[in-house]
Amino acid sequence: MKTIKDKIAKLSFVALLLAVTSAMFYTPTASAHGEKSQAAFMRMRTIHWFDLNWSKDEVQVNETVVIEGKFHVFSGWPETVDKPEVAFLNIGIPGPVFIRAGSWIGGQLVPRSVSLELGDTYEFKVLLKARRPGDWHVHTMMNVEGGGPIIGPGKWVTITGSMGDFVNPLTTLTGDVIDLEDYALDNVYFWHALWMGLGLAWLLFWIKRPMFIPRHIAITSGKADSLISAGDKKVGIAFAVGTMAIVMASMGSTNEKYPITTPLQAGLMRGIQPIDMPETSISVKVEDASYRVPGRAMQMTLTITNNGDSAVRLGEFMTASVRFLEPDVLEDESGYPDDLLAEEGLTVSDNSPLAPGETRTVEVTASDAAWEVYRLADLIYDPDSRFAGLLFFFDEDGNRQMIMVDAPLIPTFI
Amino acid sequence: MSASQSAVRSRAEAVQVSRALDWMILFTLFTAVLGGYHIHYMLTGGDWDFWTDWKDRRLWVTVAPIVSITFPAAVQSMLWYRYRLPFGAVVAVMALMIGEWINRYLNFWGWTYFPVNFVFPSNLIPGAIVLDVVLMLSGSFILTAVVGGLAYGLLFYPGNWPIIAPLHVPVEYNGMMFTLADLQGYHYVRTGTPEYIRMVEKGTLRTFGKDVAPVSAFFSGFVSIIIYFLWHYFGRWFNKTDFVDPADI
Repeated sequence: MKTIKDKIAKLSFVALLLAVTSAMFYTPTASAHGEKSQAAFMRMRTIHWFDLNWSKDEVQVNETVVIEGKFHVFSGWPETVDKPEVAFLNIGIPGPVFIRAGSWIGGQLVPRSVSLELGDTYEFKVLLKARRPGDWHVHTMMNVEGGGPIIGPGKWVTITGSMGDFVNPLTTLTGDVIDLEDYALDNVYFWHALWMGLGLAWLLFWIKRPMFIPRHIAITSGKADSLISAGDKKVGIAFAVGTMAIVMASMGSTNEKYPITTPLQAGLMRGIQPIDMPETSISVKVEDASYRVPGRAMQMTLTITNNGDSAVRLGEFMTASVRFLEPDVLEDESGYPDDLLAEEGLTVSDNSPLAPGETRTVEVTASDAAWEVYRLADLIYDPDSRFAGLLFFFDEDGNRQMIMVDAPLIPTFI
Repeated sequence: MSASQSAVRSRAEAVQVSRALDWMILFTLFTAVLGGYHIHYMLTGGDWDFWTDWKDRRLWVTVAPIVSITFPAAVQSMLWYRYRLPFGAVVAVMALMIGEWINRYLNFWGWTYFPVNFVFPSNLIPGAIVLDVVLMLSGSFILTAVVGGLAYGLLFYPGNWPIIAPLHVPVEYNGMMFTLADLQGYHYVRTGTPEYIRMVEKGTLRTFGKDVAPVSAFFSGFVSIIIYFLWHYFGRWFNKTDFVDPADI
């Protein structure tokens, strides 16, 4: 009986080891960026990305993709996230599978951090050059100091070709044409090899002789002074003098070879130009808003007043990059990511054209599985249970007006 | 064989065993220091050592020697105090740099495809050689801390300048001036490392104009002296055999 028990125990242990080992071979690619895990209120109440366009969804190595659009910096920015006084327009990709060939906000190149104003809307563009083949989820992204990354919508872009063909040519201000991909690499290897060689030589000088036990015996028997000879000291001096001579000579020769060098460039960029948004002629008051947990739907009661001179209809509600469209008013033709698009997700109790001067109270429902898939429903667990988003109204000529809404949200569980 | 008998039967065999132990101890020391020192340096010097666009004239020059003189001081203490072997700094730095090169090549380049010319480690060997030689010639930890520690800080920037200078050549790009190192940081996207995290060219050494690197190096050398003392005593403490009961030997 004991033998059987031992055998079972042994086999179980072997099985456990096999299971652990085989688990190591299951390494699925982590392609996305955890965007669904980010707190819902952060995605709803910080940066609103809209009018986005990815120029291509398949490129060869060395070809470029442009991502452009607008972002609105929400004026009801949550207290728990630092304001975007120091922010950086980043791009959410898995490492340098593209290089960022350029990024602009309001037409200004933004290689460094910028200061953004709450309530302003900015145009942006990011130019990417394909480097590593694969299917990559490419997100817009704004990093905010003290707030972390605020990730926008992502779209799959395929890169074909070979990374070995990638080049990154540049002309320096001293007139040299270089490929930044492997520029000065031989120089890096040479100096590191030289210094590692010298370090190794110093080690070999000492480790070629008996080391630990005989020397420890010598020290404990009072013969420590005999362990470093005059010859050792001469070799040591030669190493020290040689080291300093190489350092000084190499510094001198480097300055001759590169007479023009500049310090690293740093510093916050202020004065980024927002878009001059036209005055809106529509006012919206959120009477109440609730999220129906079982139905995965958010319902708002809105009182809308049209102060303009043409009739308007509500066409879209956008929050946390998810777009809920009213299909009678708006169809997406931009190729927006499917998973973030609820093409028939917006219903309005009365969406007949709202005439100039008219005020109407309507029930608006935004429903789609995206509430669950993108974990926006988790908003009800946030410490400050409010929602925010953009409403887009359209007149007969297709002119659009953007209205920001921000109000408390009450969950309903039955 | 009883416990009181020797494990070796001749002098030649004793020498052979002694040498075998030498290599075992050296290998163990090398790999243990590689691991410990590497983690320590990545946690304290981290990004300054990872990326060329962090290797500036002020903070990199200041921080890297201060946080890297630690293990050399401790290993020197152990090897000198116990064995009069003056290669503690070099063996520690060599272990660190080999570990760093493995990391940069396999992880940074092999896994995440950052070009090696963007992620190579800093060169710490010139300062380590001088630190070892000062200890060997003086036999004094105080002199090693003061003279060697200062030299360690002072030699860092010139010892690295031949490697980073080509990357400080300026380039005009979309109407702005960059160094090539800045452009590497901009081009090769680090999703989790936004630009504002980069701690470069900050500080108030503006009265020195463009010659701030020597001032930073001197400051780094002074602090390195203090850190050397501290870590020397860590080495001494760690090297104690108080926890071994002689009766058990």
